[in-house]
Amino acid sequence: MFDFMFGTIFYGSYGLNNISISSLDILLAYIVTMIVSILVALILRLPLLPNKPYRYSFDVSALYPTPIIAIGILSIFLVLNYTFMYNGLILAIVIGVLSALFVKYLFDFVFPKPLNEDKGEDIDE
Amino acid sequence: MNEVIGIIIAAVLCWLNFVIVDTYFGLPEQPGVRGARIVGSDVEKRGGDIAGGFFQGNVLCSPDASAGTLIASIGFMLLGIPGGILAAFLVFIGNRLCADPGYAGTIGSLTATVIIFLTSFIGLKPEMFIVGMVIAILTIQGLDQVRASVVLGKIAKKFNRHARE
Repeated sequence: MFDFMFGTIFYGSYGLNNISISSLDILLAYIVTMIVSILVALILRLPLLPNKPYRYSFDVSALYPTPIIAIGILSIFLVLNYTFMYNGLILAIVIGVLSALFVKYLFDFVFPKPLNEDKGEDIDE
Repeated sequence: MNEVIGIIIAAVLCWLNFVIVDTYFGLPEQPGVRGARIVGSDVEKRGGDIAGGFFQGNVLCSPDASAGTLIASIGFMLLGIPGGILAAFLVFIGNRLCADPGYAGTIGSLTATVIIFLTSFIGLKPEMFIVGMVIAILTIQGLDQVRASVVLGKIAKKFNRHARE
């Protein structure tokens, strides 16, 4: 972790240089974690798409935000150069499963919906 | 690449990225958060366009594609492509903390990451995108809010996302 900080601060190297697995493995880990998170979310009976209207929906679904959370958390592990076994594949699968579980069971507890569900915080005056 | 030319190109790319993504995901259509309605009606009172006003209010009040582009450039500068993806995750959390149902922030930062990665092959650096994004937001919010809102309203009409349809 401190190698990463020194590299960033003193040598001006961008973060990809700090990751010890190859870029193909990084790409594979991202794809695996997205697919696993979507599949586990579908197994947990989350809908594939949010309710209509699509663009103003607070509902969670399998396509959004599950893969976003999964790849975001995987990025934290990658830039800290913590990639466990098999070039990060185990880590990718574990993060995919955990983020799907988080979206299904904990998401509404962590980010509660606003009182007026349809229109966000906007209140007609 | 020369820094000044790079910053100008980056500013144009950032402007197009966040205006197109924001307009497509319906920022001019309705105020997603409470403050956006106040900004929009105030801009309209001063002779501007209501859809452009909603756009400016949404940009001001909650993270959307403009904040996403800025944070993605900073993340890319520090951490490379994982930094850009991390920015999308952070913008999503910010959206939910603001009680904003929008999708524009996360999608905007992911597209910004792709744009920065692709243009890095022709010599544009992520630092140029940070400066360019600040300039792009200045043209929307800082120089002349009323005229900017008229331009944004015309763009919203082209995308069929105008508030008064």
